[in-house]
Amino acid sequence: MHEFLEAFRFIAHNGAIAGEPGLPTLTHLALETLKVAAIGLGISIAIAVPLGVWLGHLHRGSFAAINLGNIGRALPSLAVLAIGDAFLGLGLTVVELALVVLAVPPIVTNAYLGVDGVDRDLVDAARGMGMSGSEIVTRVELPLAVAPLFAGIRTAAVFVVSTTTIASLAGFSGSLGDVIANETSYHFSGVLGAAICVAALALAVEGVLTLLQRALTPRGLRLVEPEPARVPPAEAALA
Amino acid sequence: MRGTKSGRFRTLVASGSAALAVVAGLTACGSSSSSSTSSSSSSSSSATTGAAAPTASGPGVGKPAVTIGDKNFSEENILGALYAQALQAKGYKVTLKDNVGSSEIIYKALTSGQIDMYPEYTGVLLSAVAGQKKNPSSAGAAAQEAKAFVEKQGLTLLGYTPFYDSNALATLPAYARQHGLARIPDLKPLGKGVKLGGPPEFATRFEGLPGLVQEYGVKPTFVPIAIELSYKALESGQVNVQNVFSTDGQLLSGKFKILEDPKHVFGFQNVAPVVKKSVLAAEGAAFEDTLNRVTSTLTIRAIQQMNAAVSIDKQSATSVAQQFLKANGLG
Amino acid sequence: MFVGFGPVLSSVVAAAEPVIPDYGAQSSSCVVHNHFFCADWVSHNWGPVLWPALRGHILLALVAVGIGFVISLALALTAHRYGWLERPTIVVTTILYTIPSLALFELLVAPVGPNVYSAEIALVSYTLLILFRNILTGLRGVPSEVLEAAEGMGMSRKQALTRVELPLALPAIVAGLRIAVVTIIALATIVYTIYNAGLGVPIHTALGEGPFKTELIAAGGLAILLALTADALLVLLQRLLTPWTRARAT
Repeated sequence: MHEFLEAFRFIAHNGAIAGEPGLPTLTHLALETLKVAAIGLGISIAIAVPLGVWLGHLHRGSFAAINLGNIGRALPSLAVLAIGDAFLGLGLTVVELALVVLAVPPIVTNAYLGVDGVDRDLVDAARGMGMSGSEIVTRVELPLAVAPLFAGIRTAAVFVVSTTTIASLAGFSGSLGDVIANETSYHFSGVLGAAICVAALALAVEGVLTLLQRALTPRGLRLVEPEPARVPPAEAALA
Repeated sequence: MRGTKSGRFRTLVASGSAALAVVAGLTACGSSSSSSTSSSSSSSSSATTGAAAPTASGPGVGKPAVTIGDKNFSEENILGALYAQALQAKGYKVTLKDNVGSSEIIYKALTSGQIDMYPEYTGVLLSAVAGQKKNPSSAGAAAQEAKAFVEKQGLTLLGYTPFYDSNALATLPAYARQHGLARIPDLKPLGKGVKLGGPPEFATRFEGLPGLVQEYGVKPTFVPIAIELSYKALESGQVNVQNVFSTDGQLLSGKFKILEDPKHVFGFQNVAPVVKKSVLAAEGAAFEDTLNRVTSTLTIRAIQQMNAAVSIDKQSATSVAQQFLKANGLG
Repeated sequence: MFVGFGPVLSSVVAAAEPVIPDYGAQSSSCVVHNHFFCADWVSHNWGPVLWPALRGHILLALVAVGIGFVISLALALTAHRYGWLERPTIVVTTILYTIPSLALFELLVAPVGPNVYSAEIALVSYTLLILFRNILTGLRGVPSEVLEAAEGMGMSRKQALTRVELPLALPAIVAGLRIAVVTIIALATIVYTIYNAGLGVPIHTALGEGPFKTELIAAGGLAILLALTADALLVLLQRLLTPWTRARAT
């Protein structure tokens, strides 16, 4: 339909609208979105991965780790942003705070489950070989936990891109969401064009992370599809 | 063993149905409470009627039912409630659909028949929907061009309001006195020393900073401020001049002064109902007359007071509209 | 004043200034000064604002998960039978799941329109990946010996499915439902951008007024509470139906 044609024309013009010389280009907004998302994701990974891996290694705190994942899922991005706005006003810091609040739970849960789920026999064997705790984590557990760990990071990455665009609904400016929230200036063709860009951006991020996951998976594991029946059903869906 | 596996499956179905029954019951209970106002409605029926039921007599009795829509901000909710209740007072059967969406979405709803009319701003009609970029020279010209545009699509524009809701620049009276400010061009000699606040899109749109720079040669320092924080920023001194809307309720307090826009950079934004021609014909002359009467009462002070009651005092658009119409013999 | 289809459109000029009623100060000073949480506003507006939004939100979520479940069950049963279908189904549902909600809603508005159908299509799409994967995992998790025993007892394929496989797959199915319900409740807050329903509506209203803290916290809080309650209820259901999973595997 012609609306999609108009939308692609908008994209082709890099977001320029006739008669509005000052509008930011789509490329600029896309890069800004990635920047905000990357910062949020980076901070979240830095907090969540060590925490989840450590708990999983010790096989402690499973209740907390798993339920943190559930609670994180239950938080609507808009509500988190809105409440942050009410208490602290809306600026980059508050948006990043919201991103971290939303991204940490799935990463912690999946890091925990990934490391906790490593075959105990392997860990015992490694210990028997004289490896220290940290060596076991880095040389045995982490490589074997790459799949669920990255599943958590990919979920968090999509959350983060999505929430960055939603932040524009709450009044934050500096992402592709600005276009979607501002139909008066950009017209529906612009909104649709930006929506297409957001979808493409999220898929690209997921794609890059999948490639990264493949690169980091130990060669031996790459040949074998993990058997779905092995992982406890409730947690399998988190992957 | 407590039960067979298939027994558990049946339990699942039973408890699922029970849960649904509970929700259905809750829904039935909730719907008996007062009809919702400008904020929301259930997903199955998106219709809400104003607090007043249609009267049993009047020119509207026997005429086909009419659906009015409004956009998702409070001033539009007030306008929708005003028109809906005024028509209901004359016996018309009206369904009011709140928060249909933004300009293009609601316009599409109109052309596709989901609604029969909605209140629109003439300038918005021209730029957002018609896609025109040329600035009209007067309120009348804007309305004329808007009318010409919609008539090509089987619609028409009725009379427009005395009030206009355009962008405006506000400042504190003390600041205005200090620098002798009455009109926007008076800001020019102050150069970068003026801190001008507004939402981010103000800095990029023609009906904003670029237009002011081009037409008046002013060159202020721009400070991005979210719309809802406008008046706070002005009062705290974070900005000297702030982008506001000409119908904001806060302007009644006397604490703010609007700088005139002699070249009409901010355009004309009077409101007029956009109606389908077929609906207008079917509903009769009294329909159009009632709408025009309501429109004629909407001066800038009137709408500012209503906006203040809704935004500052948090009253519902429905109740505010009801009070206004009653006071003016229209409700 | 005649205003019709004539060439000259004029403003309907007020004959005299309208009567402006005194709307009074109906709200408490707590509201007017926008303090963090004004209980009086909440109790006053529960009926007209908050409850309809909550009710609409629940309805949106239930319909979405209901339809999503039916579709996912059909897809999973088919993929269980014809294994080659799994990969393409996962790919398609993953793509749908990855598209950020705001974008998906807008993409649907173009063909379908700003109505409940667009909202539900989007919400249903988000349930598919979760439910499909979980149901399939559950079905696959039935040990082959049990299936053979069922066959040995003379059960037809269909009987084996309904009497053995699906009940044994319940833990995974309910776990998937749990995740889907919570996810959809969270996503439904964005529905307001294309359709006037759900708790996103009062959140949006509140954001445009200052922000109006009480309404923001009330509506946002309700959304979070709803999701957590639904999660807890489903955990209870999960425990009721499958007590044997309570023992943690070592």
